[in-house]
Amino acid sequence: MSEPAIKLEDWAQGIPMRAGPVSLGLYQPSPETMEYWRGIERRELMIRHCGHCNRFFHPKRIVCSDCGSPDLTWKKAAGNGKVYSFSEIHRAPSEAFAKGAPYINGIVRLEEGVHLFTRFIPDPGLVKIDAPARLDFRVLESNWLLPVFLVG
Amino acid sequence: MASKLGYSAAIVGIGRCMTKRDDAEKLTALQLGSISSAQAIQKAGIKRSQVGAFFTGRCPTSYRTLQYNQTLLNELKIAPIFNTEVTAHGAGALGTIELGVLAVNSGLCDYALCVTNEASGVWLKDKVGQNAAGESNPQFEAPFGPTTPSLYAQVACRYMHEYGATSEMLAKVGVESRNWAITHPYAAMRNRGKITIDDVLNSRMIASPLHLLDCAVNYPGGISTAFIITRADLAKNHPNPTWIAGFGQQTTHEWISERMGAYDLDPIGAEPNLTNTGCATAAKQAYEMSGLKPKDIDIVQTSAPFSFVHLMMLEELGFCKKGEGGPFVMDGNIDADGGLPFCTMGGYLSFGQMAQGLYNLHETVDQIWGQAEGRQVPDAEVGLVHGHGGILASHSVMIVSRERAA
Repeated sequence: MSEPAIKLEDWAQGIPMRAGPVSLGLYQPSPETMEYWRGIERRELMIRHCGHCNRFFHPKRIVCSDCGSPDLTWKKAAGNGKVYSFSEIHRAPSEAFAKGAPYINGIVRLEEGVHLFTRFIPDPGLVKIDAPARLDFRVLESNWLLPVFLVG
Repeated sequence: MASKLGYSAAIVGIGRCMTKRDDAEKLTALQLGSISSAQAIQKAGIKRSQVGAFFTGRCPTSYRTLQYNQTLLNELKIAPIFNTEVTAHGAGALGTIELGVLAVNSGLCDYALCVTNEASGVWLKDKVGQNAAGESNPQFEAPFGPTTPSLYAQVACRYMHEYGATSEMLAKVGVESRNWAITHPYAAMRNRGKITIDDVLNSRMIASPLHLLDCAVNYPGGISTAFIITRADLAKNHPNPTWIAGFGQQTTHEWISERMGAYDLDPIGAEPNLTNTGCATAAKQAYEMSGLKPKDIDIVQTSAPFSFVHLMMLEELGFCKKGEGGPFVMDGNIDADGGLPFCTMGGYLSFGQMAQGLYNLHETVDQIWGQAEGRQVPDAEVGLVHGHGGILASHSVMIVSRERAA
């Protein structure tokens, strides 16, 4: 699989994803998440942080859920977490993803307290709730470089 | 004690238009919606000029227009003073009725028309891909290749972990849904016969822990349901009004993985989790508004596209304790033969899912007026309908009654 070319400055164009004739939407980097995607290019997982409340948030947060401040900053996540939930997908959403099926998608709880949707890769352990998971980056079937978590 | 809104309005006209997969003539969502709306107006015995409020569920996926509410309004030649499309996913279907109750009690209009409509089969070629697109966050979920079942499965995974529910308990819901569906002439799975727990467990895995028969069937046809709502003083002039005893609604999120960023909210609690849903809040409001309790409910419809969701909703609606939905169904409490009449059309699992499930309200009205041919529940007077959509994101609960509380 070739290395994807993410045109970060060209967010308004979007990158259409399709499942056969059906649009899966445009999951382009958008202005509020640009730093997240720039971090991925550097193989870093960036999350949001409120300095007033000293609380971490999902990379998509725009204002602090506690104090309402828009002054959230970007922090690099340490990359350690635990499996919160998961599902092994046998029926994939498109032909491209079907080539990788079955695969495991789930929610990881980072040690910073943030939960993210991700791909879990057994390495070497089994994916189960509370299993330790560590950050890695892989090009998935969508041909995008994404943050995944190795379990075990 | 019922609140001011409890029993303040009633359903006085219903329209329904349905097509099946094998019907020679396919109808579009707009055709279905127009026909059912005109039927509801006619059955209520009112003129179209009397429709003061007009609420529609979200735009049908098979008939995209910029403002579908306007598209349908244009077809019906009505001129409401309140009109809008109600989103909130599948909870928006009952949401149209809830807004209708508020509108007719505002003193500014007398009658509200509430409609949902959808058609499938000839238009939707790829439901798996399309649903995945609609239900997942385009930047933070979709690139990983989720499907709708796999997004719900995140909740199933936690529910089974936290409360010890088993695949057999989940499967039992599918078995009983099928028992009802085979009695309904329009149910998607009516000709497939009864199934067993083993049949569910042996059906192919879609997204663990959900097997094929744990999943809803997309209704292979088209359905529109339309209701005319009016307030209590006018309802008395109509034959057989069905009283809206109480209702409630809550939405907690849009994307399931970001639901884990929500905390310090009722009913989630202090820590983020996936297993406390807005259904509990909606149910509490509906019960308080109506002055009724779970033991007063004769018939229940839940809108749940996966088996385990039914177990969670039975708990949050108060029919059993939190975490005991599995043992509750295994003990026969929702058996089509002798249990609580539950999803009496066959539910999303066996009747089919379509048009945000507003037909569940029609079914309940039919049942409490003794008009559910072939599957009539004896002595049903009070019914509860649950509507839900998103990945357990939005919930509505409505209680309807044949009699008006004193």
